[in-house]
Amino acid sequence: MYFRDVVKRGSRSLRASKLRTLLTALAIAVGAFVLSLTLAASNGLHDYTGKLISNNFDPSELIVGRDKTIGSGSAAGSDPQEYDDSISTVSVGAKSSVQVKRITEAEAEGLRQKPYVEKVRENFQITIRYITREGQKKYTGGAEPYNPSQKPELGAGAVPSGGDIKTGSVLLPEVYVKLLGFQNDQDAIGKTIQVDIQQPFSTESLKALLTSNQTAAQLANSEAVKAKDQVFSYTIAAVTKKTATSLAIGVEPIRISSTDAREVYDFSAKGTTDYNKYLFVSVQVKDGADAAKLNAAEDNLRSEGFYVQSSKDLQKTITQFVNILTIMVGVFGFITVIASVFGIVNTQYISVLERTREIGLMKALGMARGEISQLFMIEATWIGLLGGALGSIAGIVTGIALNPYLTKKLDLGAGNSLLIYRPLQMALLIAALMLVATIAGLLPARKAAKLDPIEALRTE
Amino acid sequence: MIKVKDVSKVYGKKEGMFTALENINLTIPDGATLAIVGKSGSGKSTLMHVMSGLDHITAGSIIIDGKELAKLKPKAMDRFRATEMSFIFQSFFIEPNQSCYQNVMLPLEIAQVPRKKRREMVKDALLDVELESKIDTDASKLSGGQKQRLAIARAIVNKPSLIFADEPTGNLDSATGDKIMDLLFELNKTLGSTLIIVTHDHDLAARCKMQVRIKDGKIESMKGFK
Ligand SMILES: Nc1ncnc2c1ncn2[C@@H]1O[C@H](COP(=O)(O)OP(=O)(O)OP(=O)(O)O)[C@@H](O)[C@H]1O
Ligand SMILES: [Mg+2]
Repeated sequence: MYFRDVVKRGSRSLRASKLRTLLTALAIAVGAFVLSLTLAASNGLHDYTGKLISNNFDPSELIVGRDKTIGSGSAAGSDPQEYDDSISTVSVGAKSSVQVKRITEAEAEGLRQKPYVEKVRENFQITIRYITREGQKKYTGGAEPYNPSQKPELGAGAVPSGGDIKTGSVLLPEVYVKLLGFQNDQDAIGKTIQVDIQQPFSTESLKALLTSNQTAAQLANSEAVKAKDQVFSYTIAAVTKKTATSLAIGVEPIRISSTDAREVYDFSAKGTTDYNKYLFVSVQVKDGADAAKLNAAEDNLRSEGFYVQSSKDLQKTITQFVNILTIMVGVFGFITVIASVFGIVNTQYISVLERTREIGLMKALGMARGEISQLFMIEATWIGLLGGALGSIAGIVTGIALNPYLTKKLDLGAGNSLLIYRPLQMALLIAALMLVATIAGLLPARKAAKLDPIEALRTE
Repeated sequence: MIKVKDVSKVYGKKEGMFTALENINLTIPDGATLAIVGKSGSGKSTLMHVMSGLDHITAGSIIIDGKELAKLKPKAMDRFRATEMSFIFQSFFIEPNQSCYQNVMLPLEIAQVPRKKRREMVKDALLDVELESKIDTDASKLSGGQKQRLAIARAIVNKPSLIFADEPTGNLDSATGDKIMDLLFELNKTLGSTLIIVTHDHDLAARCKMQVRIKDGKIESMKGFK
């Protein structure tokens, strides 16, 4: 018998018992549904993390620091390290804190001199008291130097297509627009806001006080003992919307140019122990889009004792997490498929028993053993195809139906979907299920092939 | 030519042992018509099955066209059955939920007849048994006689040189039975196919040139042999 005829005969006998075929296929369909959903969710998460990284990190930039937590992507090490002045305490959450070795301005300057370095951006930590505007109330907030590799979504205004924003300008998060009394995003552009920064009571001012020969009474009234603060004014260049891929925790910070950030930082941190010491700096590598150059730079920095993390490393860390989730859900789908295998074996066994006479006749007419077993295996393959197709279609329909809801619920941002179906993946999934079904059909097929035609024909 | 030499067939073992055939010797020339007669349970079907290689023999040998069946490899045996022989069984063994066309086509598929030729051959065979109008009807919708005719169409579609028929008219009224026998004898005449028919119908047996009577697995009498 030609293979084509075997396939046709197989599909015909399946059609002859439609309900049974459908029910058996449904068992696989459940597995296919779970697996297709898992794959789709994994695709979605991978896409989303990809966007998250590319919207927040410049691929030609390296995060460089002195603490080994930077390279490993894990929490601070549990082994004590040798103390030096660059180590400072960073609070983590409400109750705990870790000691982190920082990178100093001198080291950052050293990095600037390296031939492969294009630019070094310090990670200034700026603490502000409040944000306000003439005639308006004061509001809390945070500030950050503008990062050209972040792609903020703008409500109004504009940012340069590359490089830093102008000195003296600010990107204002949309939440402040109404609070500060603007009519709308557009209305805020070109207006000025005030940011109040406090100067800490530094060791220098203490020294100045102690050497000033003033009496206690004089000191009590002296301006010097009061905390100093200064108001900085910035012109609004653009209003930023909170995007789904933003990494900011809590309220979005205002963003100022690095020159302004340096000025504010100097004002607010000078004299403190952590002044000019950074958790990390961002090093932009010359032609860093070229992976070879980026790797060479990474290697060189590591050889000098720096800890380095590229956006790729970061993505790997997140991807690993996504993969573990995918595997966990995938295992459930796999178990369902295993269960459906027994369904196929059972159905095909019954089918062999029911068709004992037909098998006997075919053998009597000279059909070879191999062809008989092929016939039954092909039937199982068809069941696998049907189940796989039904499950995948159900998965795709679910995706279309649920995506808008999930995008909104999970705050993924417009244009991002959690469930992404890829045709090739679906085809491979169905092919794999067909293979599994065929293997399940192996045992019943062998039983059919082994039937003695005389025994088979004797059954009335 | 079919040679049956000292053939015995024993079913079961020890206490349950039953000798269904004992020392059968027959020589059937090509193009012969042979009737195997005898009482129920005498071993007629068994003889037919061993002659066609469907069942194994316990002793002796069966040689068809110089080839000893017991020594053929399974592949060669399948090929031989697919191209040279055909069967009409006591109960028709047609597939009720397939069309007449599908039923008759089965031997052609097994013998790997080119796809283009098949439909013509099936039509011809159905024409011979006067079922041409039922070509696309499901076999389950046929009457008993029509079913037997369908089984015959399936047996003759491949123009076999050897036809085994087990009680081909057993389930039919005499008029239909006669018609079907006419058809088989016609095929014997035109194609020279050897016809081996198991029957206990005396008239039918009388139409065959050779007859062998079986009793308790042994040959009781033979007629028409040289
Ligand atoms: N598998 C078997 N095991 C044991 N005995 C068997 C087996 N097959 C057939 N027999 C016995 O062999 C004998 C011959 O059977 P066979 O079917 O050849 O009879 P028959 O002449 O064709 O009868 P009928 O005219 O009723 O069809 C019977 O007694 C039967 O019981
Ligand atoms: Mg019989």
